[in-house]
Amino acid sequence: MMEMTKLNRRTFLKVSAATGAAAAVAPRLLKAMELELAGKDVSPVSGVQRKAVPITCHFCNIQDGAIAYLENDRVVKLEGNPEHVSTRGRLCPKGNSGMWYSYDPDRILYPLKRVGKRGEGKWKRITWDEALTEVAAKLDEALKEDPNTIVLKYGRNRTGGVLDRFMQTLGSDSIINHTSVCESSKKVGMEPAWGPDIETPDFANTKYVLNFGSNVLEASYFHNPLSQRVAEGRVDNHMKIVTFDVRLSNTAGFSDEWIPVHPGTDGAVALAIGHVILREDLQDSEFINTWTNVTVDELKEHYKQFTPEWAEKISGVPAATIERIAIEFATTKPATIFTYRGPAKHLYGSYNEKACMMLPVMTGNIERRGGYCLPRGMSWPQPKPEPPKPAKHAYMNKHHHPLYPLASHGVSHLLPFHIADGTMKVNVYFTYQDNPVYTNPGARAVWGKVLSDETLVPFFVSMSSHMGEETALADIILPDCPYLERWEPESMPNSLWPWLGIRQPVHKSLGESRENRILMRDIIWKLDPDGSRGMRKYWEFKDGEDYMRHHFDNIPGLKEAGGLDFLKKHGVWPIYGKLDPRTGKIVDKTGREIRAEYGLYKKELSEEEMAGAIIDENGLITKNGKAIGIQRNGKNYVGFATPNRLINVRVDEWAKYGFNPMPTFKRIPWHETMREDEMILTTFKLNVHKQSRSAAVKWLAEIAHSNPAWINTETAKKIGVKTGDLVRVESKVGYLVTKAYVTEGIHPKAIAIPTAFGHWEYGRLATLKLKEKKPEWSHGQEDPDFNNVWWDDKGVHPNDIIPAIADPIGGSQAWFDTVVKVTKAGPNDKYGDVVADWDRHVEAFKEGLRYAYTGDLHRKMHPEMAHWKGPEEAGHESEGSHL
Amino acid sequence: MKTSQIEGKKSGISQPTAIPEVAAGMAAECGARALLYRLLSAVFVEEASAEFLSAMRTPEMLEQLAEVGIGFDADFTAAPLAELVDTLAVEYASLFAASGGFPPVESVRLYGRYRHEPNFEVMQTYQRLGFVLQPGRHEVFADQLGVELMFIAELLERQAEALAKGDLIASRKLEKEIKRFWSRHLGRWVRGYARLIERAAMHSFYREMARFLRGFAEEEIAALGLHIEDADGARLEVPKAEVQEAADPQKPGCTSDAAPPGRQGIRRLQDLRLPSVPD
Ligand code: SF4
Repeated sequence: MMEMTKLNRRTFLKVSAATGAAAAVAPRLLKAMELELAGKDVSPVSGVQRKAVPITCHFCNIQDGAIAYLENDRVVKLEGNPEHVSTRGRLCPKGNSGMWYSYDPDRILYPLKRVGKRGEGKWKRITWDEALTEVAAKLDEALKEDPNTIVLKYGRNRTGGVLDRFMQTLGSDSIINHTSVCESSKKVGMEPAWGPDIETPDFANTKYVLNFGSNVLEASYFHNPLSQRVAEGRVDNHMKIVTFDVRLSNTAGFSDEWIPVHPGTDGAVALAIGHVILREDLQDSEFINTWTNVTVDELKEHYKQFTPEWAEKISGVPAATIERIAIEFATTKPATIFTYRGPAKHLYGSYNEKACMMLPVMTGNIERRGGYCLPRGMSWPQPKPEPPKPAKHAYMNKHHHPLYPLASHGVSHLLPFHIADGTMKVNVYFTYQDNPVYTNPGARAVWGKVLSDETLVPFFVSMSSHMGEETALADIILPDCPYLERWEPESMPNSLWPWLGIRQPVHKSLGESRENRILMRDIIWKLDPDGSRGMRKYWEFKDGEDYMRHHFDNIPGLKEAGGLDFLKKHGVWPIYGKLDPRTGKIVDKTGREIRAEYGLYKKELSEEEMAGAIIDENGLITKNGKAIGIQRNGKNYVGFATPNRLINVRVDEWAKYGFNPMPTFKRIPWHETMREDEMILTTFKLNVHKQSRSAAVKWLAEIAHSNPAWINTETAKKIGVKTGDLVRVESKVGYLVTKAYVTEGIHPKAIAIPTAFGHWEYGRLATLKLKEKKPEWSHGQEDPDFNNVWWDDKGVHPNDIIPAIADPIGGSQAWFDTVVKVTKAGPNDKYGDVVADWDRHVEAFKEGLRYAYTGDLHRKMHPEMAHWKGPEEAGHESEGSHL
Repeated sequence: MKTSQIEGKKSGISQPTAIPEVAAGMAAECGARALLYRLLSAVFVEEASAEFLSAMRTPEMLEQLAEVGIGFDADFTAAPLAELVDTLAVEYASLFAASGGFPPVESVRLYGRYRHEPNFEVMQTYQRLGFVLQPGRHEVFADQLGVELMFIAELLERQAEALAKGDLIASRKLEKEIKRFWSRHLGRWVRGYARLIERAAMHSFYREMARFLRGFAEEEIAALGLHIEDADGARLEVPKAEVQEAADPQKPGCTSDAAPPGRQGIRRLQDLRLPSVPD
């Protein structure tokens, strides 16, 4: 027998050098199971396949398709749904952490009734029956006086119509959203122009992107699906991306060029780019003349005023850069732009949004592969019968504010001022997934003050799963379910393929929490137990699943596939193809990537659709009094979803209220008069947080828990601060003291503070109250996990010192317009100091009203509209604030 | 009133073989222990009812508790009943049921979140031994302190029943289950947690009942011959500053806190004979 040579470790390792090829061809029967992209997962301990429940993520509002993996009826992992055409199997870090909402020890699990003063933190646990009885009694009283004194304000509403149904059942028109602190001026800038309120840039197939103030890789709308496409466009398609932003965000850092602009001036840059394109005759004349309501000549004439030199003076972007970028953008095909929400969150955000949008319009990049596309979505029917619309209008609601008539998504952030001045009388105030005491301008100085005042808000009901800053002020808390325990219908235009999806409970809700539709049903049943008041008939459903069947069981196509049962199994419909694990793209049966449909506005109307239709002299096709399309070059197209089926470069409705109907830009008046030592405060989000509801999530809080203020190196030198030093940031309504982060990555005239930090409620992790040791028994958590909290800095929240100002057109909060003075903190300043004043906020609110179409500064801001006759031209009724 | 959340199905344990007097003594002890478990369960499982508080405030009960070093302040002994019910309901919510409190739930104490391993493990144990969890006035987790204590009470009652029948095999089996449950669950968290509540409670009722729970747990662990590490995150050692404060003779009812945790002031289990408590 041959004896084996004695081998030492070194000799062994030498042998390994020769084994590479052999090893490569050796059979491999084992594969790490987590590498499979099949919507499956196994326990690493037991090897047992985990139960997979497809859902739609609702950590944030992108609505990605997800799969919850359960072991022992507990979610152990969340992953992207590989069958979801937009998400393609990938979630962001927030989406991966969503289970901590459900299992958070600070979650509210029982109905609670306040026993101390508002906000004191003293509660009594009550039964659902006690809670419902009390709420119903208060509603009864309010109904006797005026249904509109029942106010419901919501933050995130993905109930698919339940909140409207509730308020309509009660006959109240006082339903208020949150959109004005979000993107309403973007919506209002876009809707009259082309129909929908958002765009879908085809990043994956484009060659050139102008990105105005969006941090698409981290935080903007649809950032998870879109950032995947941005990466593809960059890698597979060699696209160029140019970002205009006051801050070097991660998207700006990823871009080929970051061009810092003076805060609030992107609109001027966009107009100047348009000027160069038109001056150089690089526009798509055919598209403009065929598909818009202006001619190329009109447009050229209008844009003459917006020279690059004019824009340079305003924005600080060199005229030569504007010239170069304009030519690059117009001569590179296809190209697109993206805005979110930098341009829109200013005093005249709607003008800015429209100015940006004109660039793909004038270059004909609309609805083309690689261009600026219309959003794709799907809808679902409502359960029948539906309650009628309320008989009487409220002073303001989610679509209406008398002083902001073009703000079709409401001006919600002005609500506290109207409650205080009596224009919005409140008897019962409901809140759902909202936290304006933290998220809105003025924060606790404004919302906190009004909601704490029992004379202004006599009865306050919060429907919430967590003790946010607002819920902490409630009289009754009805425990809502976090998103993993709810039924909800979904559709979101987050890629070029429309889809329908569901959220379904992954397990029974914890404690006694009830999902919103059940909770509202129970309130109505309490009010109308036998149906004699005519309310109950709108709420005759057994449970959440039963309600979903009404939405989904009769949708053509889905019905044949199995209706709700299909969605319960797959989470999304349709399934466009299979996820290719090699490329991460959705492919068809032949292995080719699926293709989107483009040119939606050019879809021709069928003979059947045209039967009985009338075509007017402008080509507008109407049927039964409704515009259904537009005739162009002898063909009948569906066109755009506007009343004239065209893109409206000129928005005549705006002129009615004295606003410029054509693309324009207005400087923020108070920016023009800024002193040398003043700066503009902007805020931003990080990739691991959302506005207010994520600070309690362990994995995310560990990654990001504090928020120093970004200050430019040059500016910091002038005021004598370095990174880590305390600075005092003072606006006209208050001041805060925070830490400085000195960086080249921000415009010298801007200071940027990320939001989602500095909570004073929202549980132990968000507040770090244990670390403060006051008082130890309340919030003084000592659970073992808390020992892992190695940080003691929870950050400083800036919203208290931001005044509430609304865009007079779109109604948006002018988040990025606050002028502040930044100085090195004084000896009496403490980290975390935040001081703001209600009276000064009221003054700022009144000042803001002067820019409304009824205000005295409106005309001054619009000399070009000298021919406007004034508010009477729009049939103004004098309804105003009496503060 | 509904406070009992665990409902037993018929136990299949039988075969009586025992010396009657010994078994009867053991059965009596099991019965007494079961009552204590029931008592503590009632304190922590939900807000105390007027009936329960009345029973707790009988002179006999107060005297017995005083004998083992449990002394309530006037906030418990002198408050009008209706007011006491209300005050304690608020205290209960602050400590145990509202956001920002100290959920008396094993998953939270040992894993920092609801519905984790202990919840499923205890559920399986309940099922295996023929119990189902029913909602009381409120829904509670299977690994809620009150439910875990209630479970032992049920087992002890079964054990007492078995012993009364002279069935030592069944009794031993049940004792094993009790030991196992203490080793795997209660013993791992209840002492540290009780210490935390002693410090956190504003009202003497919960402060003293938490002390009682701690002492009782230590006695049970010793009596069962177990050595279990307290894995709860609450500090095991009371900081000096607090010791001095707690030892203040001006503060009635707190004196025994100055002693090393768990011994002084708490009498051995067999010294306690409490009247039955309505459930
Ligand atoms: S972006 Fe992240 S948090 Fe938002 S829906 Fe998608 S995965 Fe969920």
